[in-house]
Amino acid sequence: MQEIKFHGRGGQGVVTASQMLGLAYFKGGMYPQCYSLFGGERRGAPVVSFLRVDQKKILLKCEIKNPNQLIIFDASLVDPDEIRKQVVPGTKILINTSKMSDVIERLRDFTVGIIDASCIAENLRLGHVINTTILGAYCRLFESLSVNKVIEAVMEMVPAKKSENAKAVIEGNNRVTLIKGRR
Amino acid sequence: MKKFITGNHAVAEAVRLCRTQIVAAYPITPQTPIYEKLSDWEAAGELGGIMMRTESEHSAMAACLSASLAGVRAFTATSSQGLALMHEMLHFASGCRAPVVMACVNRTLAAPWAFWSDQTDSLSQRDTGWIQIYCEDNQEVFDSVIQAFRIAEGVLLPCMVVLEANYISHFMEPIEVPEQEQTDRFLPPVKIPERFDVDNPSFVAPVVSQVQFEAFRHLSYEAMSNALDVIEEVDRDFGDHFGRNYGLVEAVGLDGAELALVTTATITSTARVALAGLREKGHRVGLVKIRVFRPFPTRILREILEPVPRVAVLERNLSLGREGIFCSELKAALVNSEKPHHVQGYLAGMGGTNVDPDLIERVVIDALSRERVSDEPIWMMEKK
Repeated sequence: MQEIKFHGRGGQGVVTASQMLGLAYFKGGMYPQCYSLFGGERRGAPVVSFLRVDQKKILLKCEIKNPNQLIIFDASLVDPDEIRKQVVPGTKILINTSKMSDVIERLRDFTVGIIDASCIAENLRLGHVINTTILGAYCRLFESLSVNKVIEAVMEMVPAKKSENAKAVIEGNNRVTLIKGRR
Repeated sequence: MKKFITGNHAVAEAVRLCRTQIVAAYPITPQTPIYEKLSDWEAAGELGGIMMRTESEHSAMAACLSASLAGVRAFTATSSQGLALMHEMLHFASGCRAPVVMACVNRTLAAPWAFWSDQTDSLSQRDTGWIQIYCEDNQEVFDSVIQAFRIAEGVLLPCMVVLEANYISHFMEPIEVPEQEQTDRFLPPVKIPERFDVDNPSFVAPVVSQVQFEAFRHLSYEAMSNALDVIEEVDRDFGDHFGRNYGLVEAVGLDGAELALVTTATITSTARVALAGLREKGHRVGLVKIRVFRPFPTRILREILEPVPRVAVLERNLSLGREGIFCSELKAALVNSEKPHHVQGYLAGMGGTNVDPDLIERVVIDALSRERVSDEPIWMMEKK
């Protein structure tokens, strides 16, 4: 079973990202289960969302404590020590950032995908909503889902700028940098 | 067809498929997405029935009750404070034998203020004369709403379908949504007494004498007792139509079990995973899910638990000064058994805290190894 955790901030489309990814897996014949945790919904506040994916019905009705896939929309939310405590060995991590930083250096034992989603989304006039770019990068890093399935889900769920969002998926997929884990 | 939707949207889908004629409601977290979805459909001309946006939950139930007395299929949804505000009208609906259907999304009652799952809101309405069905996942919620209309209209009592905040209301999962024609074949057009006649105005709830009141209560009591058979019959027929059914209670792996873990709602679903692990390790434990709480399925629970010496009840609610409410109800159901049982109550998940297979395993190990049963519930608290 894949257990995916999304970290980000209100306004970046974190919750919708988890739902669109769930829908993409659903369209691919899988059984997804998606939920989010947020208190007072406000822009900029930390938001986490979760997605389980399996081939058969998921019976668990509890929180994901130890994800095996991690998607980080904002590098300032990353604490490598905290991540190390949470994730299971072999976890891959996707991070939205514009530069190689000390944080990423400290996560070098994991396979990491780096994508400058904020820049791509901005250029496509999508503002702070980077979720579709992130999902494009996701397909390349995790290799468990085709880009076309993600685009299909994006087309069904985004309320506006459909063609820009489809482009964002493709751009994200093309421009993600993969760094193999050291162990 | 299969859809990937939240528990709240599953409720809305079912309400629309049931050709509900009036939805009277007031928004409250975490129920609001039900209200919003139905409103969206009404605005797009896709609902079929009409929405009444009332000024409070008390008025919402008054509207549903009145519509039902006029022979109309009526639905509302609420949570927590909203349900508490409805309380007076809940008695009124059952007393008038109005088959209103409600979705109650379990949420903590203030204070303190919170938004998460806790069954105390719906269980506080235990004595209002409503049928109550507790669901463990999105599919069961969807199916139970469709069943609820047939049950309520069959016995002329209102019916509450209960789903938990977050773990169902906001969890997205795939569910099977049937075609309209298939639903129509299971649920015929509404046919309940039309007690309002515009041409011959009269009063439907007059003042009665002591003796008359007692007679009405006895009739309601008989209807509620009869509901046990009707719920089973509707559930069986649902199985014939859709290939899924649930029963009043469900027993898993009780043969030769030394311990029965009794659960409700979403804890049941997670417990199915924990149970498989525990049995692999050689623990003789079975699972009993209580789905229908009112009317309480006393006879069937006594029968299935008869050969099991130990019982552990794990639940997400509390009657202050006593214990978990399902535990009290179960003890009362077992008190006239031939052989005495050891029933230990456990409280977990209060306020929506996490109940995972590890926690459930700890409960089972404790219940199996415990030398003396405590009358007090055991709190399985999250550290904070």
